[in-house]
Amino acid sequence: MKELEAVLIAFREGTHCEAGVWGGGEGRAAPTAIARSSAKVQMPDVLPGEPGQSVPGNFGTQLVTRVHSVRKVWLTVGPCDPGHTPEDRHVNLLMPVVAQFMKAALEVEHAATELGERYEEINLLYTIGEILGRTVTLEEAATTILTEISETVGARVASILVHDPATNTLNAVAALGVPTSQIPPISAADPTSVSARVFRTQHPLIVIGKGVTFGTESPYGRGEMLSVPIMWTTPSGGQPLGVVNLADRRSRQPFSAGDQKLVTAIATQIGTAIQNAKLVLASLDQQRLQQEMSLAHDLQMKLLPATNVVAPEAEVTARVVPAESVGGDFYQLFKMRDGGTGVMIGDVSGHGYRAALIMALAMSASAIHAQITASPGAMLGALTNSLREELEQTEMFISVFYGVVDPPNGTLTYANTGHPHAFVVSQEGTVTRLAAGNPPLGMTDDTPAAATLGWEKGKDLLVLFTDGISDARNAADERLGEERVMETIVEHREKKTSVILDEVFAMLGRHTRGIPSRDDLTLVVLRS
Amino acid sequence: MSFSIKKQGEVVVVDVEGQLIVGNRQELKQKVLDELEKGEKKFLIDFSQTGYIDSSGLGVLVSLSKKIREQGGELRLANLNVDLQTLFELTKLDTLFQISDTRERALESF
Repeated sequence: MKELEAVLIAFREGTHCEAGVWGGGEGRAAPTAIARSSAKVQMPDVLPGEPGQSVPGNFGTQLVTRVHSVRKVWLTVGPCDPGHTPEDRHVNLLMPVVAQFMKAALEVEHAATELGERYEEINLLYTIGEILGRTVTLEEAATTILTEISETVGARVASILVHDPATNTLNAVAALGVPTSQIPPISAADPTSVSARVFRTQHPLIVIGKGVTFGTESPYGRGEMLSVPIMWTTPSGGQPLGVVNLADRRSRQPFSAGDQKLVTAIATQIGTAIQNAKLVLASLDQQRLQQEMSLAHDLQMKLLPATNVVAPEAEVTARVVPAESVGGDFYQLFKMRDGGTGVMIGDVSGHGYRAALIMALAMSASAIHAQITASPGAMLGALTNSLREELEQTEMFISVFYGVVDPPNGTLTYANTGHPHAFVVSQEGTVTRLAAGNPPLGMTDDTPAAATLGWEKGKDLLVLFTDGISDARNAADERLGEERVMETIVEHREKKTSVILDEVFAMLGRHTRGIPSRDDLTLVVLRS
Repeated sequence: MSFSIKKQGEVVVVDVEGQLIVGNRQELKQKVLDELEKGEKKFLIDFSQTGYIDSSGLGVLVSLSKKIREQGGELRLANLNVDLQTLFELTKLDTLFQISDTRERALESF
């Protein structure tokens, strides 16, 4: 206070009277000298209120006056040089200067304190940002965050409650000043709970301590309380995730709007952290699911027979491409007695896991029936019996074609239950449709009918495919169509079955140009 | 993709607009079953505005047909486009349903 001291010294020179300014310490601490004209000026024994009064001292009389509009500051004039006495006009002269000076000094002090507090808050936000950036799970970070916030706002009790949508309760994930176990889950609909109300209204709440019942928070909601919602803000609006509670303030002062603003800013960061943690978990789950789906795909592909099981009697090429990782399309091959070959194609309605399960059942049941039942009609009848219950329960059905090629006898005998695309292509390029005799398995209880036609050994081609191929769409949503598939096969009919199959898939690829298929794709080509 | 249901005389007529596929088949099923529960017996599904029926859509038609028959009722189909007609013929589904060319003929046939 050098500037004020200079004023007082100048005052002494002009008036021959000493002067001093005294300020009160915090609480009950005695006032001390803020500035004085010389060390001779002593603090008077009495510090009166306004108006001033004359106080006798060891060196002479002092006029003591309280400084206007500044709390706990006094001005003393005196003692004076011999022949001079302190007068009211001296006080009147000095008072405005001292008052102005003290007011300015106090403002600077307040500004400094304010700045200090803001610095602390910025530091806190920075620290919390850092804590959240380093950790993956909220639980790891929550206690550290709570410690930091409660230090800054001076709360003895603090908790973070997170909403569980399954039970519609707010559950403590971290607490300070009270064991987490003592914080029971709070129903989000609880009418008496401060936290539940803040969660529902999505607005912070400052509770002034006295006479308030805290409902469910009573074990730890002592004194003043500040409750702030934890929000996750999305482009479509905000979603409450939980609540941050602070209570039992050291200063016993109510929480201020500034505290509320600070905690709201932190709550938003916590909200982002909770959401991040959820996304990380969901992403891990997704990865696990993808691994399992890829495993299921491999397993399903392994159920399909290798085409060489019917060699050398038959030359077969087959391909199944599920629309999802697993599908409902399948084919089956059997080596029959006397050089015959059994070939089956099936399409379970729908796709995905349910269809895949029915497909697996159909694969294993048909393998058993094909060994003991020679007639294709009877074989599909037996297959229906095996799958009936499962198909009825799931409202699913299977379109199946099953044919037995018998080159030594020059015949093809087949039964077709609702399978739309089964053909024989002769060496001359004639296409014969092997039409369905019955609706798909699972739709009726009829015994499937069988038919027989001639077979040119080593020349005729048996072509079977599912509607995923003929229904494949391009970007303009146009179907590929059965005709184009058959034209390609007729064009390449004399080539190896593997070449024919590749030609069909290449043509399909030119049509769809990367548009993903919405159904499973299966093609089987057989020459025998 | 939507279904509109109205009553013409004693017959509940359902129009399928767009597609009948895995994504909307349950909606059709529920709408028809609700009417069945109210005591309706005669149902006509009109496909004049339907472009495509996938295999699960066919499954729902078969299951509805069974459920309506169990309650002593009848389900008829009308206005299948050429593609759908071919599909019904190729899969022998035409043997499971009474199919009419037009809505009027279907209504007369009850």
